[in-house]
Amino acid sequence: MLGLEYNTAVVLAGTAALGLAAGSTGSLALLRRRALLADALSHATLPGICIAFMVTGSRSFAALLTGALITGILGVLVVVMISRRGKIREDAAIGIVLGTFFGGGIALSGIIQRRGADAAQAGLDSFLLGQTAGMLLSDAITIGVIALITVALVVLLGKEWKLICFDPDFAGVEGWPVRALDLLLMLLITVTVVIALPAVGVVLTAAILIIPATAARLWVDRLGPMLILASIFGVLSGSVGTVISAGTAGLPAGPVIVLSASAIFVVSLLFSPRRGIIARARSRVAQRRRQERRRLLGSIYEGIEESHVPMIGEAELARRRSWGPGRMRKHLEKASRRGLIVWGSTGIALTDSGKTLAEKIVRDERIWQQYLLSQAQIDRDLIDLDAAEIGQILPKAMVEELEAVLRAKGRLPGAAAIDTETPGGAS
Amino acid sequence: MTPPKSTDPNPPAIEVHDLTVSYHAKPVLWDIDVEIPAGKLVGVVGPNGAGKSTLLRAMLGLVRPASGWVRIHGEPLKRGDHGCGYVPQRESVDWDFPVSVLDVVLMGTYGRLGWFRRPGKREKDLAFHCLEQVGIVELAKRQISQLSGGQQQRVFLARALAQDARVYLMDEPFAGVDAATEAAIFEVLHELRASGRTVVVVHHDLQTVEEYFDHVLLLHLRLVAAGPIETTFTRENLLATYGGRLTLLDEAAEAVRRGAAGGPGWRPPAAPKR
Repeated sequence: MLGLEYNTAVVLAGTAALGLAAGSTGSLALLRRRALLADALSHATLPGICIAFMVTGSRSFAALLTGALITGILGVLVVVMISRRGKIREDAAIGIVLGTFFGGGIALSGIIQRRGADAAQAGLDSFLLGQTAGMLLSDAITIGVIALITVALVVLLGKEWKLICFDPDFAGVEGWPVRALDLLLMLLITVTVVIALPAVGVVLTAAILIIPATAARLWVDRLGPMLILASIFGVLSGSVGTVISAGTAGLPAGPVIVLSASAIFVVSLLFSPRRGIIARARSRVAQRRRQERRRLLGSIYEGIEESHVPMIGEAELARRRSWGPGRMRKHLEKASRRGLIVWGSTGIALTDSGKTLAEKIVRDERIWQQYLLSQAQIDRDLIDLDAAEIGQILPKAMVEELEAVLRAKGRLPGAAAIDTETPGGAS
Repeated sequence: MTPPKSTDPNPPAIEVHDLTVSYHAKPVLWDIDVEIPAGKLVGVVGPNGAGKSTLLRAMLGLVRPASGWVRIHGEPLKRGDHGCGYVPQRESVDWDFPVSVLDVVLMGTYGRLGWFRRPGKREKDLAFHCLEQVGIVELAKRQISQLSGGQQQRVFLARALAQDARVYLMDEPFAGVDAATEAAIFEVLHELRASGRTVVVVHHDLQTVEEYFDHVLLLHLRLVAAGPIETTFTRENLLATYGGRLTLLDEAAEAVRRGAAGGPGWRPPAAPKR
C-alpha cells in the first residue's frame, strides 16, 4: 500500500489495530475515571518485562508481554488494596505504586545492561519509549487479534458498562454484578495497555488511551459515537505516528504516535462547536452582553423611578454603571436601534416597548432579591435572571407573596407607572 | 445477614429488623425496627446526618449493615432481582456523562432485558411513556448536561418508572426543584399509590410533610417514631427528632401560624397535632 515496504505495512496494521482498541477502551476508562490508574498500570509493567527477560533470557514478544501483564495487574491490585484498606487517597496510592514499580523496573533494566547483553539493551529500550521497527508479522497479528476481541467485548457489554460508568449504585439496585463488571473492564484496560507497550512504550501508553477518548468527547454527546470517534482518532494517531517514525531515522514511534493524538486533541479543544475553547469564549461574551443589556435598561428604569423625571442624564446613567464611555455609547446605540430607548441631547428615555421590558427586568431582579431575603429554605440554584417567566420556577403563590412585599415597599415595577415621555431634542 | 423466610401470607412492603449500620465504629443507623405497609406514601424525615439516605441505601442493599436484615414483600434482598425502583440524589452522578435523556430512562429497562440484549422498540415506547408521565417527553433527545436541576430530577423519576417496581425508594426528590417539577413529582407519587405501589421518600421540608405523605418515619440515628401522619407527626415527636435544633422547628411553627391566621403563607400546612 502506498508503496510502503512490507515491514512498514505490517507495523502500520499493528499500530492501527492498537489505536482501535485504545480508543474504545480508553473511552470507558475515562468515563469510569480510571485514566490515572491506567498510567500507574502501564508504568507497573516495566519490572515484569525485565523479570521475564531475566528468566527466559530472550526477547520473545509473548514472554515479555506475559511478564508485563503480571506486574501490571499486581500494580493495580496494590493501588486498590492500599487505598481501600490503608485509608490512603487513591491519587496518592497511584503515585506511590507508579513510582515504586517503575523505579524497580528501571533498576532491573540497569542490572540487565550491566550484564552486558547488547541485545537485551535494544529489546528493553524499545519498551521504554516504543519501537515499531522491530515488529514482526506475528506480533502484528497478536495485537490485531487482541484488538478485535477488545472491540467485540465493548460492543457486547456496552450497555452494562455504560450503566456502571454512569450510575454504579443504580446498577447494583438492578442486580447487576457491579464488582465483576468493573473487574472485567479493568482487565480489558490492562490488556490494551500491555499490547500497546512495544509500540508506544511504558512511559506513554496511558496517553494513547486517554487522549483520543478525551478528544472524541469534545465532538460528540453520546457514548456510541464517542467510542467510534475515539477509535478513529486512535487509528489515525497510530498510523500517522508510525509512518512519520518509519520515515525519519532515530525517531522513536511512541512519542510520535502520542504527539499525533495530541495534535488531534488540540484541534478538538479549539474548534469543538460546543465544548471548544473558542465556542465557549463566544458564548461567555454573548452572556455578558445580555447581562449588560439587562443592566442598561434596569439602570435607566431605576434612575427614572428615583428622580420622577421621565428621562435620565448620561452622566447619571454612567454613575450607576461601571462601564467606560465607549461601551456605554455602544450599548445606548444598540438599544436605541432596537427601539427600546430614545437617546437625545438632554438625556435618555424609555420607549413604550423599552419600558415594558425594563419593568420585567427590574421586577424579576427584585423578586429574586426578595426571595433570597425572605425565604427560609433558600435555593440559590433556582435563581435564573434569563428565565422567561419566574412563575415557571417558583410557585405562583410564592411569587404573588413576594410581589405583595415589594408592592408594600413601593418597589414593584409597573405598580406606579413611570412616564415614557420623549426627551427634548430627540435624535 | 439473611432474614428468615416470611410466614405472613400478606407481608408488609418493607420490613427492617434490628438494623445497625456503622462507619468506623460510629453508628449511622442504630437498631432500627420498622415495617412499612404496602400501598402508602411514606416520608422519611429527620435532621441532617440522621441516617435517612443510609436507611434507604440499606433497604436497597447498597450498604452492608453491621447487623440486621431487610425484607421486601416478604423476600430477602437478592442480587439479580430488580425489586425496588430507585431515585438517587441528583448529585450522585456526573451530569456531563455522554448520554441522552432517553438513554438514561432506558437504563430502567436494563434489568428486565438481561445480559447483552439492547433496548428495542418496546423499551423505547415504555421510556417515552415514562417521560410523558413526568412531563418532559420533548427533552428525550437532549444531552443530559443541558438539563436544569428540576429536569434532571424528572429524568431520574422517569427512569425509576421504567423499572416498573412494586416498591419505590426516593432520596430527596423534592430538593431544589422548580415549582412545575414539584407538582409533576407530586402527581407521579399519587399515580404510583393509586396503582398500589409503595413509595418511600426521604424528605427535608417539614412544612410539606403532611400535604405529601400518608405515613411518616421520624429518624435520628434511631427510629423516633413511625406511623400514620395524624398520630405520628406530632410536635412531641418532632421535638424528640430534632432536639435542640429549634430554629428549624420555629420556622415550621411560624409557617403554621401564618397558615392558621389565613395570612400570606404560600403553602399553609396544617398545624402539627399535640
